[in-house]
Amino acid sequence: MIIVIPTKTSGEKSFISENFGRANYFYVYDTQKQIGETYINEHLDNPHGVGIKTAEFVLKHKADIIISPRIGEKSMELLRGNVKVFIPNDSIVKENIKDFLDGNLKELI
Amino acid sequence: MRIAVLSGKGGTGKTFISVNLAYVIKNAAYLDCDVEEPNGDLYFKGDKIVKQVDVDIPVIDHDACTLCGKCADFCRFNALAIIIDKVRVFSSLCHSCGGCKLVCPVSAITEVKKSIGTIKETEFEGHRVIGGEMNIKEETGVKIIDEIIEISKDILEDVVIDCPPGNGCSVMGSIKNADYCLLVAEPTIFGLHNLKMVYELTQVFEKKVGIVINKASQHKIINDFAESENIEVLLEVPFDKELGLINSNGEIAAKDMKYKHFFEKLADKLLVRKV
Ligand code: SF4
Ligand code: SF4
Repeated sequence: MIIVIPTKTSGEKSFISENFGRANYFYVYDTQKQIGETYINEHLDNPHGVGIKTAEFVLKHKADIIISPRIGEKSMELLRGNVKVFIPNDSIVKENIKDFLDGNLKELI
Repeated sequence: MRIAVLSGKGGTGKTFISVNLAYVIKNAAYLDCDVEEPNGDLYFKGDKIVKQVDVDIPVIDHDACTLCGKCADFCRFNALAIIIDKVRVFSSLCHSCGGCKLVCPVSAITEVKKSIGTIKETEFEGHRVIGGEMNIKEETGVKIIDEIIEISKDILEDVVIDCPPGNGCSVMGSIKNADYCLLVAEPTIFGLHNLKMVYELTQVFEKKVGIVINKASQHKIINDFAESENIEVLLEVPFDKELGLINSNGEIAAKDMKYKHFFEKLADKLLVRKV
């Protein structure tokens, strides 16, 4: 399973970004390999179409899960049916992945 | 002289000032560049000539496409994206640069014409009135505005440009060949904030500016700002219920002797000929 998380800084100790498309980074975690990688959000400063590009990024990584407090309408429209979104806790990336795997995060609807 | 009328936000009286100013200047043209919410033609009523504005939008031949992603990476407007197993075109974001067609290694991209809006022209008591209207669902009216500005290049008379609100790309397009920028603001804290926003933009483009205070009151917040930045306040239109009513009924206030002098004074200061 692949999890994508929008983050403020890089790495598993980062806090979660309040925004999805406008996050500084995306943390992509592979639960099978137990490997996480941080990607710079290349579309952060684009005036338009960020939601589209973010959805493309998520689909390119074949993600199953997003952990984000919010997600734009455009992204959601493109991701619906392929990806589920869960609401993060207040803690860092690592804790959120743990909580998610333990079934402690709620789905965003 | 080409006068652009701007405000940081809609609803500050930008169209009100533009329409009346154009009306008192002999044969001045009025350009309505607020293509998202064109209101100018509510005042300048008349038969219109309507022209479609088309753009070229890419179409993908999905059988030929190898999903290499070159087109999506190339498009700096984010109008293309690989969504699962197809390149999708988000045509409302496309700026018709034609680049994706060139970068596609297997020639899977062709173009079709798509209407994004219209341009309407009319003649009103010697004033040429040109306005644009963007189709709903489009994200940018820049192309329509460019087209209006292009048409207006041949106009030898004075021109008043009713710009879109805010400080985005479409405003930049509207003011690019203006000689003067008239900033309309209301004397409130928000009004000042919005004024500062557009003022900054006009400074980036090194335009001459002046301020019109609409719904002027005893709050001198705009005057203070104008003084500190050394900008001239050309006109203060006091808050007046009757004036508000005339305007909201789509009437040109300057037709009324009682209000005409406001706009004549403004026109005078802008050094143009009056009716
Ligand atoms: S024509 Fe230009 S703007 Fe439109 S999709 Fe192609 S690359 Fe993007
Ligand atoms: S560049 Fe051509 S082949 Fe590559 S993804 Fe785009 S349309 Fe398909």
